[in-house]
Amino acid sequence: MLMEYATIHSIFTVILFVAFIAFVIWAYSKKRKTDFDQAANLVFEDEQKAQQKTKQESDHE
Amino acid sequence: MSQTKSLNVDYNYSVVRLFALTTVFWGIIGMAVGVLIAAQLYWPALNFDTPWLTYSRLRPLHTNAVIFAFGTSALFATSYYIVQRTCQVRLFAEKLAMFTFWGWQAVIISAVITLPMGLTSSKEYAELEWPIDILITLVWVSYAIVFFGTLVKRKTSHIYVANWFLGGFILTVAALHIVNSMAMPVSAFKSYSIYAGAVDAMIQWWYGHNAVGFLLTAGFLGMMYYFVPKQAGRPVYSYRLSIVHFWALIALYIWAGPHHLHYTALPDWTQSLGMVMSVVLFVPSWGGMINGIMTLSGAWHKLKTDPILRFLIVSLSFYGMSTFEGPMMAIKSVNALSHYTDWTIGHVHSGALGWVAMISIGAIYHLIPVLYNQGRMYSISLINTHFWLHTIGVVLYIVAMWISGITQGMMWRAVNTDGTLTYSFVQSLEASMPFYLMRFIGGVFVVAGMLLMAYNVYKTVRAKDESLQPVPAVA
Repeated sequence: MLMEYATIHSIFTVILFVAFIAFVIWAYSKKRKTDFDQAANLVFEDEQKAQQKTKQESDHE
Repeated sequence: MSQTKSLNVDYNYSVVRLFALTTVFWGIIGMAVGVLIAAQLYWPALNFDTPWLTYSRLRPLHTNAVIFAFGTSALFATSYYIVQRTCQVRLFAEKLAMFTFWGWQAVIISAVITLPMGLTSSKEYAELEWPIDILITLVWVSYAIVFFGTLVKRKTSHIYVANWFLGGFILTVAALHIVNSMAMPVSAFKSYSIYAGAVDAMIQWWYGHNAVGFLLTAGFLGMMYYFVPKQAGRPVYSYRLSIVHFWALIALYIWAGPHHLHYTALPDWTQSLGMVMSVVLFVPSWGGMINGIMTLSGAWHKLKTDPILRFLIVSLSFYGMSTFEGPMMAIKSVNALSHYTDWTIGHVHSGALGWVAMISIGAIYHLIPVLYNQGRMYSISLINTHFWLHTIGVVLYIVAMWISGITQGMMWRAVNTDGTLTYSFVQSLEASMPFYLMRFIGGVFVVAGMLLMAYNVYKTVRAKDESLQPVPAVA
């Protein structure tokens, strides 16, 4: 017999939950830190080169 | 801030300028119509017995004007600006971008004409009839092509988080609009929804709440993730949190719609699901708010001298407040008290005037000098005055609606020992009247602030190139 809706939904919920946890671990992994720090500074890299003498203040984290 | 030409890229600012200026213009119109209908609730004679001046026709005009004319123009302006600057590339398909401007203005003008005529599909926030809906679809698909085309040809390897929020908003609004506007036309100005009964209601509020979640939240969060760091001169507090924020927010918002239909014909489990998802939504909302506000950590003193930054940060406080209030009101037992009362109106305006309008106003004050080759706005002290007028106006508005709403809720549910209602509807209306006056006064404050903004913008735009020098930063 086919699985009940409730069972399918339960499995789906667990998959989503695990995927979310995995995603958070990925986002907070040490390996990603430098990439993300660079990305965070993208807002300042749209300025003219000469302008960068007034460098931004230190990064957070 | 004496830059403007950046890197070697020649950004397309012409469409950004147009949208930025119309943001201010439609803001004044939309909010002024709001003040008029607020006045009508206190002085009913103000409809002058004219059909097209009645509250029922002007109210959708007000909501359409502030959401789709003011708010969405601000989103167009800032998204075209942000996507170019964070991708370090000129806009893709510039003629199409210009079409989105004129097309969108045509949509707004059509709304301004048809809504007072009483032409409406009667779906809240989707009142416009089917020919206008088709035009909206055309403009929106063009918007997506311009935005995502620009992302595709970007010079940076990473797609900055603001663009994720903006892209999510553009795609979702396209889907929401197309699905909810499915209708069978019976004449040039009349159509009927293809959905019926509870399904129609659910589709409508799936649309309605996600218009809040994606247009009024995700889009403006995109704005926040660019302008708050930029104005503060510091990168966002936690970039990782911003990514988790994005995925958590979009994954949850889409489920929250049923809380608009508590205790209706909607199946009970759907109501409960909507309630639970709405409550959980508190977490990513506050994550995002904290991320924005903490960007200022170590630089709080900037709030004292920079009224633009104050607009941006206070908008986040209102965002935090309304995203606490929202989940609470989505709880069925709280909703039993709050639904159909002025509390809902107060909640919407703490989000719309506090969060959406303040972040947009801050972003526009940041943008105008850059777009018109100036170091700063014409008058910083006028921005400061605008800030206080707006803040006082919003607080008057929402406090009035809280008191009025809870009073209504309590009076409507009060029963005598024999089970009859204690109060008639008119008695609750009489109790609300003083607060309708207070709300009207709050609205006047907000519009007065917008008029100051228009003057300040006009003087900045008309000033000679680079004649306005930035104020030296306080060390």
